[in-house]
Amino acid sequence: MNVIIIGSGNVGSNLSRQLTDRGHQVVMIDTDADALRKLPRGRVDSGVIQVLVRDGSLSSALVEAGISNSEVLIAATGNDPLNGLIAQKAKEMFNVAKVVTAVKDTALHSMYESMGIDTVNKSESVTGQLMQSITGEQD
Amino acid sequence: MYLVIAGGGRVGAPLASSLVSEGHEVFILDKEESAVDAIQRELGMVASVGDATVLRSLNDAGTARAAAFIAVTDSDEDNLAACQLARNNFDVPKTIATVRDPENAELFERVGIDLVVSSTDLVLANLATALPAHPLIRLMPLADRTEELVTLKIPEAGSVVGRKLSEVTLPYGASIVLLINSEGRRKNLTEDPEIQAEDEVVALSPTNTTDELWEVLTELR
Repeated sequence: MNVIIIGSGNVGSNLSRQLTDRGHQVVMIDTDADALRKLPRGRVDSGVIQVLVRDGSLSSALVEAGISNSEVLIAATGNDPLNGLIAQKAKEMFNVAKVVTAVKDTALHSMYESMGIDTVNKSESVTGQLMQSITGEQD
Repeated sequence: MYLVIAGGGRVGAPLASSLVSEGHEVFILDKEESAVDAIQRELGMVASVGDATVLRSLNDAGTARAAAFIAVTDSDEDNLAACQLARNNFDVPKTIATVRDPENAELFERVGIDLVVSSTDLVLANLATALPAHPLIRLMPLADRTEELVTLKIPEAGSVVGRKLSEVTLPYGASIVLLINSEGRRKNLTEDPEIQAEDEVVALSPTNTTDELWEVLTELR
């Protein structure tokens, strides 16, 4: 699958590792070039993880990341409302089949769930929950 | 009317005072203590420090009895989340938001924000009216932004000057709704009037052919 991840923090970078372990293709977007430099060098060099220094909430950045050919988008910026906006944009404006986000706040969490966005809470083993949500497998 | 406003900054503070002077009751939430202090000095205890994307803050602001929720912080994502919480968790009948990034306006409308105001669009429209050229001004998006109401001025040396309205071929779906002469008088469209230099045109246009409409009406001889 082609997966776009917005946010190269702990959650995002762990996910990019696990997804590429399973043979998926990842485009990682972050405004912070330093955060992108912490991704596994070999996978970035070989192109299984592509990096984009952009604001991932912008349509132009999502288009550049190849959103029209992506099956999954994961919003993991660490900012709940921003994750919500990106997830809704992916769903409403780009019809991405599977949109997943990590949200700490419980009220926002249940609201995004009710909109059909797969939402996991940030407290425990987010990566595991997200992987399960994306691939349907237990981590 | 009771109105809750998220964001007491450059937009929220003057908005709150004008609503109060019109007799409305308002409550403002802002993350910054300095913004809250400034509002309290002017309007009294109608503001508190709080994050409008957090349920408890919305609850404390009395969002449940608000007739409308207005989100005017400088963060598009916070405005969206706050309006959606107000709608979802407090059944506020009307949600209004500003967007800083114009591309977010369409998303906000699609996901059910009742009124979306793009500050960039407003600034551009105001600037355009001040320019001596013959710009096109977008007055209002219609029908989910598939159509729009626009206005423009016929240039002095325009190729359509001297032609009757029926002789001008407009892009498919576009129509002229008002034609106003340089003295500010409305021309009767049923009489198929002649287009003259400096006429103001108000037109309904499919959004994707507005550029063509502008070209047809402002092309020079």
